[in-house]
Amino acid sequence: MASVDVDKVRKSYGPLEVIHSVSVNIVDGEFVILVGPSGCGKSTLLRMIAGLESITAGDIRIGERIVNHLPPKDRDIAMVFQNYALYPHKTVAENMGFALKLRHASKAEIETRVRRAAEILDLIPYLSRYPRQLSGGQRQRVAMGRAIVRDPKVFLFDEPLSNLDAKLRVQMRAEIKELHQRLKTTTIYVTHDQVEAMTMADRIVVMRDGIVEQAGLPLDLYDQPANLFVAGFIGSPSMNFLKGAIRVNGKPSFVTEDGVTLPLASAPAGADGRPCIYGVRPEHLTLGGDVKVEVSVIEPTGSETQVFAKIGPQKIVGVFRERVSTKPGETLLVTPNVDAVHLFDSATGARLQ
Amino acid sequence: MSAEVANGVAPRNAPISSRAAATGAHIIERVLIYAALALWTFIALFPLYWTLSTSFKLGRDVTQGHLIPWLDFQPSWKGFQSLGLSPDTIFAHSNVRDEFLNKFFNSVICSLGASALAVVIGSLAAYGLSRFDYKFGVWRNKDISFFFLSQLILPPVVLAMPFLILYKELALLDTRIGLILVYTLMVLPIVIWVMRDQFDTIPNEIEQAALVDGCSIWGAFFRIVLPIAMPGMVAAFILSIVLCWNEYFFASLLTGFDAQTLPVMVASQTGSQGINWWTMAALSTAAIAPLVLIGIFLERYIVMGLTAGSGK
Repeated sequence: MASVDVDKVRKSYGPLEVIHSVSVNIVDGEFVILVGPSGCGKSTLLRMIAGLESITAGDIRIGERIVNHLPPKDRDIAMVFQNYALYPHKTVAENMGFALKLRHASKAEIETRVRRAAEILDLIPYLSRYPRQLSGGQRQRVAMGRAIVRDPKVFLFDEPLSNLDAKLRVQMRAEIKELHQRLKTTTIYVTHDQVEAMTMADRIVVMRDGIVEQAGLPLDLYDQPANLFVAGFIGSPSMNFLKGAIRVNGKPSFVTEDGVTLPLASAPAGADGRPCIYGVRPEHLTLGGDVKVEVSVIEPTGSETQVFAKIGPQKIVGVFRERVSTKPGETLLVTPNVDAVHLFDSATGARLQ
Repeated sequence: MSAEVANGVAPRNAPISSRAAATGAHIIERVLIYAALALWTFIALFPLYWTLSTSFKLGRDVTQGHLIPWLDFQPSWKGFQSLGLSPDTIFAHSNVRDEFLNKFFNSVICSLGASALAVVIGSLAAYGLSRFDYKFGVWRNKDISFFFLSQLILPPVVLAMPFLILYKELALLDTRIGLILVYTLMVLPIVIWVMRDQFDTIPNEIEQAALVDGCSIWGAFFRIVLPIAMPGMVAAFILSIVLCWNEYFFASLLTGFDAQTLPVMVASQTGSQGINWWTMAALSTAAIAPLVLIGIFLERYIVMGLTAGSGK
């Protein structure tokens, strides 16, 4: 086990810079998730940590050692790939034991360690099978088995669950988390799925266009998003954003572009008339109150009801625990929870309070 | 059909007759398919049968077109006798047999040597084309691949003079090495294309997994990529052997006696006293036999290698 320090790392392909001076410090034993939309550079960053991509500038340290120019085999890492990348001509046991074999471990040791990993992952009955004889979920487990057999310093996961169906994904999510709690190996996990990030991570690093937008505890990112992007990316359905300006007339409030007044708990000093964006999560709207919205679509899921509506021309989504008896076209009264309202600068997207 | 039965609208016997009609159509379809297959089998196998049977005929049987042994004609060992390969001559000394064996081994050595060389060089080239992006002037990988393939479009006759002069200067005329080199060149495009397709089907991540697991780049190539690409290599190797084994033009052009191969010997049976059909047929039979064995025993590797990547 070891810490991983990414220090002002850049990556360019010719004149095109895809990673712009990214720094991330991962402490020993931490489960960190790199999350962001596709093309944000999260996989590239992971592959640079693995040594599969070169680093244009900056340093990567695993433990105390700078590994910038070390080949992958000397970094003592294990990686799980999106398409599993199992060796098709080797059995499950051979797949899992390959790394140990390359390190000249004894036959007995390989067998014990493969067996122990297979027990953890419920793979004992499949040890002599070939990857093509396994289901997607089993292949996924073998790929993880190949990683844990070696007891490496760091686990790297590159979107390992995206090829699985929804149900299996939820199950594997819990298994990976449990595995981490058991092995306590430093883990870096890349995904584009914010639900995976929220549910599994000790700490989340949100990336976009080759920069880190925000890094922090999952609930901190949810409660205190640093900017519009993180606010919109974390949480499902995503946060509602309404354009307008702050009005301080004794009590602070927010007036949308179309003149609808929304409540505010407080406003930054001297913010009267300042144009900004009002963010409130769908789950922070409650039924009743004085904000009128025009319902366009209702989606009951049983446990909750999602209501898609409009304030003037601006769209808003609400999620309510109770059953909502309304029809498209009707007007619904809602109230935003003022303690959970976020304000963002219109120009920069940065958080105001 | 079952719906009609279920709701009872159709007369009771209607489904049965339609089922019978369907079965009838099915039978006719099968008969036609098998007839077509049988016809094609006949077309494909008849020349082989003709060659084999001719090698047991006398001149009279050949000219009169007798086809069926023991009914049309009495088989004789004459063809094989003249080669020293019949039961009564096999242990006696025979100059013709020595010559035949010499050509046979020339063919074996040239085919195996050229195929092995082509598979080694071609696989390395194909791996490069599959994994790296080259810039060669205005050429990219696609153009380089096509350049290799375009070598097949060039008629070999064009190369006759240059090769003759070149080989004369290099003292490679009538040597096996010379023939191996020219055959390697000849089959390289095919090997490169087969192997490139093969390597394209191997995901990059598998190699990267090997790198992370502890392989060096060469280790990943030899321990992971090569074993996975083996069916393709075997297919490319066999194809190369077949092409080299049958090659006539360069063999007759670049060899005189020492390095002459079987096809040239077969062709040279057309002497001034007419054609010794039985000898020629016996020679052809001996020349075809190894390829027939390859076809029978290694066919599945060829299919496996050539269809790689066409489905999961």
